[in-house]
Amino acid sequence: MCCNPLSNERKQQPAEDPGFLDSISGMTFFDPHVHMTSRTTDDYQAMADAGIVALIEPAFWLGQPRTGVSTFQDYYSSLIGWERFRSSQFGIKHYCTIGLNSREANNVPLAEEVMELLPLFIYKEGVVGIGEIGFDDGTAAEERFYRAQLELAKEANLPVQIHTPHRDKKRGTTRSMDIALEHGLDPGMVIVDHNNEETVKEVLDRGFWAAFTIYPFTKMGNERMVQIVKQYGAGRIMVNSAADWGISDPLAVPKTAALMKRTGISDADIRLVTYQNAITAFGQSGQISEADFATVRDVDQSGKYEGNTVLRGGQQPRIDKSSIIIS
Amino acid sequence: MIFLAEVATGPFIRAWTVTMHATTHEIVPRPYPFDRDRLSALLAALIQQQAPAGAWNWLDVEAATGNAPRFYGAFAQMPRKTGKSVIAISTDDAETLNALVPHFTIGGWTLDRLARVWLLLQLDASDRERYLRQVEQLFRAADMNELVAAYSALPVLAYGPAWKLRCAEGIRSNIGDVLEAIMCRNPYPAAHLDDPAWNQMVLKAFFTGKPVNEIVGLAERNNPELAAILIDYAHERQAAGRPVNPLLWRCVAPFLDEGSLPDIARLLESADTGVQAAGALACRDSRYPPAQALLKQYPRLEGAVVSGALSWDALILTPS
Repeated sequence: MCCNPLSNERKQQPAEDPGFLDSISGMTFFDPHVHMTSRTTDDYQAMADAGIVALIEPAFWLGQPRTGVSTFQDYYSSLIGWERFRSSQFGIKHYCTIGLNSREANNVPLAEEVMELLPLFIYKEGVVGIGEIGFDDGTAAEERFYRAQLELAKEANLPVQIHTPHRDKKRGTTRSMDIALEHGLDPGMVIVDHNNEETVKEVLDRGFWAAFTIYPFTKMGNERMVQIVKQYGAGRIMVNSAADWGISDPLAVPKTAALMKRTGISDADIRLVTYQNAITAFGQSGQISEADFATVRDVDQSGKYEGNTVLRGGQQPRIDKSSIIIS
Repeated sequence: MIFLAEVATGPFIRAWTVTMHATTHEIVPRPYPFDRDRLSALLAALIQQQAPAGAWNWLDVEAATGNAPRFYGAFAQMPRKTGKSVIAISTDDAETLNALVPHFTIGGWTLDRLARVWLLLQLDASDRERYLRQVEQLFRAADMNELVAAYSALPVLAYGPAWKLRCAEGIRSNIGDVLEAIMCRNPYPAAHLDDPAWNQMVLKAFFTGKPVNEIVGLAERNNPELAAILIDYAHERQAAGRPVNPLLWRCVAPFLDEGSLPDIARLLESADTGVQAAGALACRDSRYPPAQALLKQYPRLEGAVVSGALSWDALILTPS
């Protein structure tokens, strides 16, 4: 989430290069962290147009603290139900991670109820990990529920998606990894998210996956991202948008790919960082199949009978955005 | 068949039910109005034949635990055990199925869907309240494909009438596959929904472009209120310059009157042969004399609908 995004001290980003899509035409992308619940159908359409074929929506905080366990249940249900369907209408395969986020872990009585709810959801189809979990303030309650969810991940043999804190990031990241190892997790099953120049070396050295969030103003910019890939290679690095209700960019992954291409990073490395590594890491859940992307995409949009679509999933017809006529 | 379980909503009626139960043997509330054991055995055989090695043994064990969390876990994990290949069913088996639960079909289902429905049949239904609570919780925490399976199971759930509101709730979904699982080839809505919910379902089937011809009981449950709703809907579509599914007029036809005949007259003048055919078929199906007279003005169409060269079914198969 962005802090005071419209302050005078910061300028909005310059207008985007309209040609960037051409340079990555034919490439496919996987955004392993994006909160589609807070995005519009226009975003889905733009993402599909830019080559995003699949995404992961981690369960997170909704901005407004929840006060009852039912709203958690409804939120988890929407991640595996309505949002998954909405995504499929645009030809994008939707996966999710399920977990109790660190902020709301601080409401202990509620958090205890949510922990009882989690086993109902983590075995669902398309749930590719426990996430996003970790530290926000670094309180004792956050640590308690972080540990409990690491145990749950171990039991279910699911990858873990760790949210590292905005404040005190370096120490928070180290502590998150220490605790994961203490619980006997294989670092290859843990994706440490929201890295930056200060945290990446330790994460990679210790054998974890390093994810980077390309998010204006508060997290990584993609020019910095290019430098990191140049320095550390593409081995266990992945990028995501973490787009949510703040000023963020659901096209962060394809845009970063375009920038990497322009700066001479090989197509093979771009593919690893913007597609394959996420699949390799989260695919350890056994819940990702690249064939699924094709199934979602191949839904025929032309099959109509007397103007009434008979498509099974109800694929959204495309609208012509350049026309002023809305019919 | 009367389901006492459903009418027993207050303590007074409940006491009455018990009395009746004690004094007459005919009126015993049964969780299943069909031969559950035979249905379960038939589905089990299909799963056993077609599931990957090991899946059936796993399912068999999970079904017998009697433990709610394990039941939910097994229901959720089904696709990773059974896979999602489309099942094959012989004509004989399909007929047996139809004899056990009329209009209940599983053709085109995936194996995980079939196995989930079978698993639901294994849930202990002896305690009505507990059973209803457990199945309802399954609906409330279901993903898209689980919802499809669970709504497909409505015709074979215990305490059938108790799922009326759940069925109506499912119709409020906007998820295409979920809607189709309820609307198409599912005998539950026709058997249990009251008229307003039924009418809402049919209207929504047209509205969301579902294969309306696959609605079980479309003709039997047809009613004048539905016809009026559909005519209004057709007028809205026409005002917006959007096409109208010609099958809509099939529901309208039995209730044609002075008010709706001009709509049919317009169909007969359409340049679209499919729409023309719908107009002619609607006249044929109507007992309103002016509709019969109207059809006489189109001898070629009249000949075709009387001879059967034109039919509602043909209209579905050969879109213009």
